[in-house]
Amino acid sequence: MRTSPGRDVMQPVTAHVTGSWLPGRDRGARRSSSAVLACQEQPVECRAADPLPDQHHRSAGVTRPPGHRYFWMIATMALPPPDPEFVLRGTAAPVHTLHFSCRSQEPEFPILFSGSANGLVQIWNLKTHRVDKTLDGHGGKSVYWVETIRGRDELLSQGRDQKICLWDLAEGRSMVTDSVSMDSVGFCRCSLLKMAQDRWLIAMPADDPDEVQVLELPSKTSVCTLKPEAGAKLGMPMCLKLWQPGFGACPFLMAGYEDGSVILWNLSMGKMLSRLACHQEPVMSLDFDSEKAKGVSGSSEKVLSVWSLDEQQNLKVHKTHELINSGISDVTIRQDRKILATAGWDYRIRIFGWKKMKPLAVLDFHTATVHCVSFSDHSRPSERLLAAGSKDHRISIWSLYNQT
Amino acid sequence: MAVFDTPQEAFGVLRPVCVQLTKVQTVENVERLQAQLQKVNAAALQELQEYVLFPLRFTLKTPGPKRERLVQSVVECIRSILSVTCVKKQDLLHELFSELCTCLSSPSGLKRPPPQSEEVKLTVIQALQALMHSAYGDILLSLYQPSTLPHLGFAVSLLLALAEQEKAKEIRTSALKCLQALLLHCDCQEYHRLLDKEESQRCGDLFASFLPGISITLSRMITGDIKQGHMITVSAIKLFYQTVGFIMADEQLRRFPEKKEKPRVEQSRIADLMVHRGPDWVQSTADKLSLLIHKIVESSSVHQHWKVRLELVELAHHLMLKSSQSLVASVGQLLKALVGLVNDDSPKVRSRSSEVLRSIAEQKVITENRALADVLSENLHSLATALPRLMTSQDDQGKLSTLNVLLGSLKLLGSKMNIVLNSTAHLHRLSKALMQVLELDVTDVKIVEERRQGELPASLQHGLQKGQAQKKYFRFFTDERIFPLLQQVCRVLGYYGNLYLLVDHFMGLYSESVAFRKQAALVLNELITGAAGLGLDVLHEREAAPSMDDLKGTITSILEEYTDQANWHLVTSTEEQEEANDKLAIPPSRLRALTEGAHSSSHVLSSAAALEPNPTIRSMNSNIWQLCIQLEGVGCFTHALGKEFRVLLMSALYPVLEKAGDSTLFISQTATGTMVDICQACGYGSVQQLISENTDYLVNGISLSLRRVAHQPHASRVLETMLRHSDASLFPLVKDVIQDVLFTLDQSYDSQAASFLRVLHSLMAALARWFVLARQNEQQQGAQTSPGTTQLPGAIPTAATTTGQDVERFFLDYVKQKQIAEGNLPDMEEEEVFPATAEEPQGNDTGAEGEASLPAHAQVAKDVMERCIHLLSDKSLRVRLKVLDVLELGVTVLHPHDNHLLPMAHRAWPALVTRLINDDPLAVLRAFKVLCTLAEKCGDFLRQRFSKDVLPKLAGSLSSQAPVSARAGPVYSHTLAFKLQLAVLQGLGPLCEKLDMGEGDLNRVAGTCLVYLSARQPMKLQEAARSVFLHLMHVDPDATWLLLNGVCCPHRYPPPHASLRPVQLSGMGRPRGELTDNVLHLLGELEQRERAMLWPRTQGAPEPHGPPPP
Repeated sequence: MRTSPGRDVMQPVTAHVTGSWLPGRDRGARRSSSAVLACQEQPVECRAADPLPDQHHRSAGVTRPPGHRYFWMIATMALPPPDPEFVLRGTAAPVHTLHFSCRSQEPEFPILFSGSANGLVQIWNLKTHRVDKTLDGHGGKSVYWVETIRGRDELLSQGRDQKICLWDLAEGRSMVTDSVSMDSVGFCRCSLLKMAQDRWLIAMPADDPDEVQVLELPSKTSVCTLKPEAGAKLGMPMCLKLWQPGFGACPFLMAGYEDGSVILWNLSMGKMLSRLACHQEPVMSLDFDSEKAKGVSGSSEKVLSVWSLDEQQNLKVHKTHELINSGISDVTIRQDRKILATAGWDYRIRIFGWKKMKPLAVLDFHTATVHCVSFSDHSRPSERLLAAGSKDHRISIWSLYNQT
Repeated sequence: MAVFDTPQEAFGVLRPVCVQLTKVQTVENVERLQAQLQKVNAAALQELQEYVLFPLRFTLKTPGPKRERLVQSVVECIRSILSVTCVKKQDLLHELFSELCTCLSSPSGLKRPPPQSEEVKLTVIQALQALMHSAYGDILLSLYQPSTLPHLGFAVSLLLALAEQEKAKEIRTSALKCLQALLLHCDCQEYHRLLDKEESQRCGDLFASFLPGISITLSRMITGDIKQGHMITVSAIKLFYQTVGFIMADEQLRRFPEKKEKPRVEQSRIADLMVHRGPDWVQSTADKLSLLIHKIVESSSVHQHWKVRLELVELAHHLMLKSSQSLVASVGQLLKALVGLVNDDSPKVRSRSSEVLRSIAEQKVITENRALADVLSENLHSLATALPRLMTSQDDQGKLSTLNVLLGSLKLLGSKMNIVLNSTAHLHRLSKALMQVLELDVTDVKIVEERRQGELPASLQHGLQKGQAQKKYFRFFTDERIFPLLQQVCRVLGYYGNLYLLVDHFMGLYSESVAFRKQAALVLNELITGAAGLGLDVLHEREAAPSMDDLKGTITSILEEYTDQANWHLVTSTEEQEEANDKLAIPPSRLRALTEGAHSSSHVLSSAAALEPNPTIRSMNSNIWQLCIQLEGVGCFTHALGKEFRVLLMSALYPVLEKAGDSTLFISQTATGTMVDICQACGYGSVQQLISENTDYLVNGISLSLRRVAHQPHASRVLETMLRHSDASLFPLVKDVIQDVLFTLDQSYDSQAASFLRVLHSLMAALARWFVLARQNEQQQGAQTSPGTTQLPGAIPTAATTTGQDVERFFLDYVKQKQIAEGNLPDMEEEEVFPATAEEPQGNDTGAEGEASLPAHAQVAKDVMERCIHLLSDKSLRVRLKVLDVLELGVTVLHPHDNHLLPMAHRAWPALVTRLINDDPLAVLRAFKVLCTLAEKCGDFLRQRFSKDVLPKLAGSLSSQAPVSARAGPVYSHTLAFKLQLAVLQGLGPLCEKLDMGEGDLNRVAGTCLVYLSARQPMKLQEAARSVFLHLMHVDPDATWLLLNGVCCPHRYPPPHASLRPVQLSGMGRPRGELTDNVLHLLGELEQRERAMLWPRTQGAPEPHGPPPP
C-alpha cells in the first residue's frame, strides 16, 4: 500500500502510519485558517495574509510593477510579503525537487533543475525562464531528488523507479552514464557529501526497510550500512543529511525516521550516536547547520522542531515552533545560515530567521501542497533566489532578504 | 563652289577684293570680301590672315564717324576670319584686342552702355570671343601681363556693363561668355591650354584687381530681377564662382609671398593698379565676399528655376573645394545652402547636392578642418537657439529649409558632434529646441472619444501588416514633410552621438516634466533607431557602432521607464477615471504628477490625496499620445535589436498586450501595430505565433498581477488580448491562469466584477469560437453532401399532378389534425413526462461519471457560468448586462454537454426570470436574448418554466405596448420600448418552435401577436409578428390557418362533394381591415408551404380511415 504508484509522494505515508492526516481541506477552510495563523503566529504579518489590504498595502503595491524587485529589510516588517519574482510553468506534473546551479560566470546562465512526478528532469534557463532541456530517464516514475556534481556537468537524479541515475551533461550531452539501483520503495531522498576531489559519499535508504546504506561515488562501493538495534522500531528512514564537522573530518549522517525521531550516525564506526524523539509523527524533512551544530526538522504535525548537538554528541531539543497548519514537506537552511524556508502542506512557504526562529514571512502563492524549497547558490548574495515547487505544477521563484 | 586650297590661288581671288575695300570702304565691298572668304580653305586663309585683316582693320581705324552698318559688317568679317584661323603674333593679338574694344567705346565713359546698336554690340562681343579662342596659348598669355592691365580692365568693365545693363538677352549671355573666356575660364568645347601653377598665380594676381568690380556686378545680376531669365543668372553664378574660386584659391594664396615684389619703376603707375594678395587683403576681401555670397545664397536658394538652384550647388561645391580656407567665413553659408537643397523639389538638385555633400564629407574637409568644425558647431548652436522662434514664425517652406540646414550640419559634423554635445550648453539648447518643436497638438477630442468595438478586423488578427505609426499633429507645424526631417535629425544624433549621453539627457527630460514627456519619448525612440543605424542615410560611416549589448542595456532601461507604473497606467478615458474613483484603488495618474513634478516615489504618500476630479479632455488626449509614442517606441526598439529582442519580451510583451486590450481605439490600434512590429523584428510569423510562443511570460505576468488589486484590470486586459489573437491551441496554456482569474474573482465580487467580466466574456467568446463554431463548421461541411442526396426523392413528387386520391388523403390527414387540435387525442402523458425529466438531471448533477467525461473547456465554461449565476443579480446594470452576455456564450459552449448544461440552466433560471420580468428594459432585452439561446440549446427542458414564469408577463407587456406602438410616430423606432417589442416578437417564434410549446401557450402567443399584424404598427414590428406566425405554422399549421382565417378569409371553400356542408369560417366576408394585408400574406405563405409539404406526406403515410366526419 505504501508504494501505490498513483499517490502523492509525501502524504500517503503519514496518512497510513498515523491516520491523523485529514484529507479534503477545502479552500475556504484554508483561507480562514490563514487569518488565524496570521494573528496568532506572526502578528507582524497580519496584513500579509489579509485578502483585503488596507490603504498602505494598496499604495505600496501599486507603485511597484509586477517584476519589481523588493528589497525589504527584516526591520521594515510592515511591508506585505512580495510576489514571486517569476513563476515557471510547464512541468505538466507536480514538482518534487529543485536544485539550483548558479555559480558559473557569464556567458553561462544560471540554471535550475526540477524533478517532477512524470519522471522528467527539466533544466530551466533562469535568464529566459524557459526549459532548455528535458531529461527523461526514470520511465515516467516521479523524480524526487536531483543534485549536481562536478559543477553542472554531471547530475544525479533519484526516481521512484528505484534507480539513481548519473547524467552526463557536459558539452550539451544528456545521457545516463551510470545508475545505482536501490530496493527501497520509500520516499526518502538521498543525501550527497563531497569528500575530496572526485570522491563523494551518498546516503540512501537500503534494501531493508529501516536501514540506510552509504556508498562511495563514483566507485559505488558500499562504505557502511546503518542498521538500528533490534527492537528500536524506528520505521523507515524518511530524510537524510550527510555532513562533516570540517573538511576531511569524519562524516556523520542525520536521519529522520518514520516514528518521529532524529538519529545521528557516525559513519566511520557505523553506529548510532544519539537519538532524539522530537516529533510524534514521521519526520518529513530536516536540515542541519554544522557550524552552529543546530538542526531543524519538520513533520506532518504542526510543529517545527529545532534541536542542537552538544559536545558529547547528544541531540537535544533546542526549541519547538508551533505552526497553525500541519505538515511540512521540506525545510532548507540558506547557505549563509541566516534564514530558513519551509514548504507547507497548507500551500505556503514560510521564512524564518535561523538564529531565533523568528517568523519573517508567509509566502502565499501556490494553490496546492508545496513539495520542496531550495535556495540558489549565486555567488553574489544580492542575486540569491528561493525556489519552491508545488503539486500545482508550478515553480515559484522568489527574491527575498538579499540585503542582509 | 570652288574652293581654293593653295595660298596662291586664294591670294589671287582675295587680292582684288581687298584692294577694292581698301580703296572704297563700303558695306558692299566688305560683303564681297566675306563672300570670297567663304571659298577659301582654312589653311590657305591662315597664310593670308594678316593680309586679309589689313583692309578690315584699316576700315575700322579710318578716322571720322563711321556708319554702324559698315562697322558691323567689318567686325563680322573679322570674326569669321578669326574663327577659322589662329593668331600667332603677339602684336596682332594686342592690336586686334584694343581695336575691337574701341569699337564699343562710348564717349560718356563706362557708366552707361555704349550707344551703338545692339547688332554691333553683339558682333563685337562675338568677335572678341573669337579672338580669345583663335590666339595661341602662349600668345594669349602675353595679353595677361601687368602692362596690359589697363586694356584688360577696360574690356572687363565694358563686358560687365554690357552684361548687366543691356536689354537683349543674347547680348547679355554672350557678354558673360566672352568675359568667361577673357578670364580664362571658358567652358566651350574647344581646346584650351591649361595653365601651370606659375601662370595661374600670375593671372590670379592680375585678376585680383578686377575682383571687386566683377563680384559686385555679378552678384547684382544674380540677385536681380527674376524676369531676366534663368540662363543669365546661371551663367552669372558660374562666372562668379569660377572667378572667385580662381582668385581666392587656397592653393594660390598659400604660396603667396609675404613681401610685395618690388615693382619696376617705369611701370609704377600700373603697379599701383596691381593688388598684392597678402593675408590682409585676403581677410578683407573674404569679408566682403561673404556678404555677397550671403546675398547670392539667399536669393538663389529659393529661385524658382531648378537650374539656378543646381548652379548654386555647384557654386558651393566649387568654393568649398577651392577656397574653403580663405572663405572660411562663408562656409557656413555655403553649407547651409547645400544641406538646404538636399531636400529640394527637383530630383536633379537633390541628387547633386547630396552627392556634393557626400564628397565634401568624404574628403574630410570638415572633420579635419578645425576651423570649419568650429564654424559648424557655432552654426548649430545658433540654429538650435533660433529654432523654436523660427518654428513659430516661419512658414512651412522656411521651416523645412531651416530643419534641412540643421540636419545637414549634423550630418557633416559626423562624429565630431560629440564635441558639441559634450558641452552642456549646446546639448541643452538643442534638446530644448527639439522639445519645443515636437510639441504635439492635443486638442483633438476624437482621439479620446473613439472606443474599440468588439473584435479587430480579421486582417489584423492574422495577416502581418506593417505597423504604421499613428499620424501625429504638432502644434507648431502642419507640413507632413517636417516631422520626417525631425526624425532624421534625431536619428543622425543617435547615429553619431554618444548614445549614453543622449539617452541619459533625454531620459532626464522625460522624467523632468509632463510637458516634455511625449517629445522626449519621441526623441528617444528615434535616437535608438538611429543608433541601430536604421532608417537614415548618412554621409560617412561612423567610426564605432554601439555594441549589441550596449544597445540592449540602453533599451532595457528605457523600456523600464516607459512601462513603469506611473508612465504606463495613465487615465485615458472618463470611465476609467470613474472606476478609479469608485474604488480608490487605481494609483494616481501622472496627471497629478504634472503639478507635482515629482517622481514615482512620491505617489505612495499621496495616493489617498485628492485625485484630480475630472481630467480634462486635453490631459486625456495627452496621455493617449504618450502611450502611443511609448508603444511605438517599443516597436522601434524591436527593430533596433531584431531577434535579440526576444529576451526582452519577458518584460515588454505584457505591457504591450495590455494596451492592445485598451478600450481607447487609438491605443489599441497602436499596440496592435507594435505587436506586428515585434513579430517582424523577432521573426514570428504572426501575432498568434508571437503570443503562443511567449505564453509563459504572459501567463506569469497575469498570475502575478492578479495578486494585486490595482493590477487586476490590466491582467484581465492582457488575457483578453491573448484570447482574442489566438486559437484553440492556446487553451491548455492558459487554463491554469483562468483558474487564477476565477479564484481572484471569487475573492472580490464587489469591486472587480466589472473588469473580470470583460475577460470572462472574451474567454467565453474564444471558447465558443474555438470549440463550438469550429465543430459546427466541420459538421456543416460534412452535412453539405448528404442533403443533396436526400432531397432528390422529395423533389420528384412535387412534379406530379394532383389526383383525387391525394385530395382525399390530405383531407383525412386534416381531419386527424383537427381532432388533435380539439384535444381528442390524449396528449397528457407527454406533458407529465416533462417535469420528471426536468428533475432528473438535477439528481445526476453530482454524478461522477458526467464530470469525468467533461472536457476542460466545457469545465471552464461551467465554472464561469457558476460565477455568472451569482452575478446575475448584481446591483450595477452594466455588470448585469455583461453577465447576461457571458451567460449566453456559456450556454453555447456548454451546449454539447447536456448533462451539465441542463442543471446549470435550472440554477440560472430563477435569476434569469427576475431579469426578464423585473428589470431595466436593457437588461430585459439582453435576458430575452439569453433566453432564446438557452431555449435553442436546451429545447423543451424549459417549456414549462417558460410558459409558467415568463410567457404571461411577456404576452402581457406585448399586449399593453401594442396600442402605444400603433399610435407612435417615426421616432418611436429609436426607443428602447420598440427594440424590446421587436426583440420579443423576433424571438417568440423560434422559442415556440424550440420549446415545442403546448396548445394553450401557442394560442396565447398567436393571440398576442395578432395585434401586431395590424397595418398601423411600425413596419418592422409587422414583419417580426409575421415571422412569429411563420414559426407557428411550423409547429401547428392547421391551428394557425384556422386562426388566420378567423380574422380574414379570402376564399370560399366549396365542398368537394355535394354531400358535404359548405365550410363556414368566421373571417369570411369580413370587410378589409387593418389586419387583412398581413393575414393574406401569411395565408399565401402557408398555402405554398402546404403544397410543398403535401406530397411527401401523402406518399409517406397513406391513411386507412373511412369516410370523413360530416
